[in-house]
Amino acid sequence: MSVAFAKKAWAIMASKISGDKAQQPVISMAELGARLAARRAELALPELPRNVGRRRTASKRALLKAIEDAGGKW
Amino acid sequence: MPPDATYPYRPEFVAALQVFARVSEAMVERGLPRPILVGGAAAEFYSVSALTTGDFDICTMFQPELEEELQRFGFVHPGGAGQMLKGLVHPGLKLGFEVVSGSVMDGKVDPAHIRLVEPIGETALFRIISVEDLIADRMGQYASGTAKDRFEQARLLLQLHPNAELDYLERRIREESMGDYGIEDLRR
Repeated sequence: MSVAFAKKAWAIMASKISGDKAQQPVISMAELGARLAARRAELALPELPRNVGRRRTASKRALLKAIEDAGGKW
Repeated sequence: MPPDATYPYRPEFVAALQVFARVSEAMVERGLPRPILVGGAAAEFYSVSALTTGDFDICTMFQPELEEELQRFGFVHPGGAGQMLKGLVHPGLKLGFEVVSGSVMDGKVDPAHIRLVEPIGETALFRIISVEDLIADRMGQYASGTAKDRFEQARLLLQLHPNAELDYLERRIREESMGDYGIEDLRR
């Protein structure tokens, strides 16, 4: 499906609906976070390993450098 | 919001998702779909910041419109980074957003599994890849042989989400790993 076709399909669909809020359940980040933190503590799960970064595109490497230049840590 | 109200997530991660939700709401006000969060930031969301990231991968068919909205919310195209840089950086939040694709995982995800989230301290909503598709994504990268570290991410995500939809998860892992892996591989 081309991007242009997909955009047109979305525009037609969007004209028939009022938005996505009423169509599906909303996850509360606060509730999910509390539940996951309890689960993590219960299982004594370690920190997840960081991405090694071998698959990063040139654009991604440039973005991470720009974040570093702005004083951020990723 | 009190200082510890973002716990167990990193405060800067919560701040980023609040902005992402407001940008998403602005897209809806333009009659466009909310962009979808994928990749490492989704892994941070589903792991309660056990995995941290400073760059946010986004899927949307409406990249120019999204970038307009991101700029309205203070994001900039960094100067001097060269033409390789497609993402935008927020100087205040010290993080970056990048549109990585028009569709999530080449359109292989079930649209009904895209989740809608209300961030901590915000009423605007954002969309995110499901934990099932995220685990499958990690396993696909692991199976490709170029990202061995993704296996532990997938395994721990499954441990954190025992209520994941297992039928869907099994199918998606098989699809992404070309049939080489399934849920049982993550439980060993």
